[in-house]
Amino acid sequence: MSRLKRFLPPLAGILLILAVWYGICRMELFSAYVLPPPGKVLDSFRKMWLSGEIFEDVAISMARVFRGFFIAFVLAFILGMARAVLPAAGPYFEYLVQFFRNVPPLSMIPLLILWCGIGETTKTVIIVLASFFPMYLNIVKGFTGCDRKLMEVGDMFGYGRGEKFLKIVLPYASADILVGMRIGLGYSWRAIIGAEMVAASTGLGHMILFAQQMSRTDKVIVGILVIGAVGYVTDRLFGLAISRLLKGTYENGWD
Amino acid sequence: MGGIEIRGLCKSYEVEGRKLPVLTGIDLRIPEKRITVVLGRSGCGKTTLLRLTGGLEQADAGEIRFAGSHRTAFVFQEPRLMPWLDVRKNILFGLRGRERRESGERVEEILRVVGLERFEKAYPSQLSGGMMQRVALARALAYRPSFIMMDEPFAALDHFTREQMQKELLRVQQAENCSILFVTHSIDEALLLGHKIVIIEKGRVKKEYGIGEAGEERNLLEDRFIGLKRDIIRHLEEESGSAVSIDEQEGTRDRLGGFL
Repeated sequence: MSRLKRFLPPLAGILLILAVWYGICRMELFSAYVLPPPGKVLDSFRKMWLSGEIFEDVAISMARVFRGFFIAFVLAFILGMARAVLPAAGPYFEYLVQFFRNVPPLSMIPLLILWCGIGETTKTVIIVLASFFPMYLNIVKGFTGCDRKLMEVGDMFGYGRGEKFLKIVLPYASADILVGMRIGLGYSWRAIIGAEMVAASTGLGHMILFAQQMSRTDKVIVGILVIGAVGYVTDRLFGLAISRLLKGTYENGWD
Repeated sequence: MGGIEIRGLCKSYEVEGRKLPVLTGIDLRIPEKRITVVLGRSGCGKTTLLRLTGGLEQADAGEIRFAGSHRTAFVFQEPRLMPWLDVRKNILFGLRGRERRESGERVEEILRVVGLERFEKAYPSQLSGGMMQRVALARALAYRPSFIMMDEPFAALDHFTREQMQKELLRVQQAENCSILFVTHSIDEALLLGHKIVIIEKGRVKKEYGIGEAGEERNLLEDRFIGLKRDIIRHLEEESGSAVSIDEQEGTRDRLGGFL
């Protein structure tokens, strides 16, 4: 009963939108090209599911995301740790990082195509550029924001710098690091679709652009729905993993 | 002679560009295997003295000399537990390697002493303030220190828990034979725990009392303790405002007790 109650409001919202969508199509306010009816979209989705082409595109996009995301995380972690362990190193790269933070990755596409071609490298670099900054900022916040009072506990027990880092700074920062990773993952997912729409012959972004060129608006809508669903599911899975990892020791207000 | 010898300890802090002296020449001997209680009003420099002794800060002048090897633990005013560790792991925080592996029975006993047997798997966020402070005390005890510094560790506890913890502290101190430097602003607590009571006022030692031998039960309603309490209150009160010369301070320093 309580389970049903929990699912009822979100379900009602979705059904309402579907009903409005269906109603507009029935009244024929727009042509089917501008707004294909839900039934047609569902049918395209079924065909793409059965032929497997949708899985192929999702898999390709996700592989790109994880590759870029992984590289960005390693970079962000190393630089963030450098800020914490060697504060003197900060000024050497901090201003460059802040500069590039303000450059949207998509604006780099022309240069990247020129330098790296339209292969995988360009897409990886775009994802790295998109997901590096939220992770870097959160990692730095976690590392540098460590409670002095807890560090003193380490001092009292005669811990050295390395031991304090492993036993106090790192666990203290873990909540911030994981938040950064979660935001970074979301950013990568957005960026890859953009990159695939500009320069790619595979992936979800390309699928949408190709469908538009073929005047298959139904397929465009399928693509949008799949992107949203995959993004949502990955984010939820990540959130679940974090809750497990932190074992409820922190109040995480971002569930 | 063991213990800790403090000579001419000075410390001042910079506050908005102005120098604020906190300690202005502390001379103090902290006897071995006894409880030394530092008593004083808020802001008299008690905590600073403790932090300097624990090596958490550097003194501007003066010296702190430890006789022989020592293993120190600190119980802070706040619990300062690691929020990502459960009670047992927090208690083991100071132990490493073999010490940690062989600590099983001792942790059980310490958990019983601080009354947290049923909470070893709980996280700090699930505990009350008093329970967290007891975990902090347990963490210090598990480290098997020869010298424990305590900064008003029982201030946040309710009356009954405080009484129980004070008793346990006396018992543990007897059993482990460790030296304790205990900071408090409660005169009753000082009288109950201290073998030596030191009153600090304006960054200096104003008066020292030596009371009782280790192991005796104390009843604060005895005439002796009531008299002492009156004397301590008088010393704590008379200072506010009136300038007492250094000679006078030196003159009033008591030298009671066999071991001082």
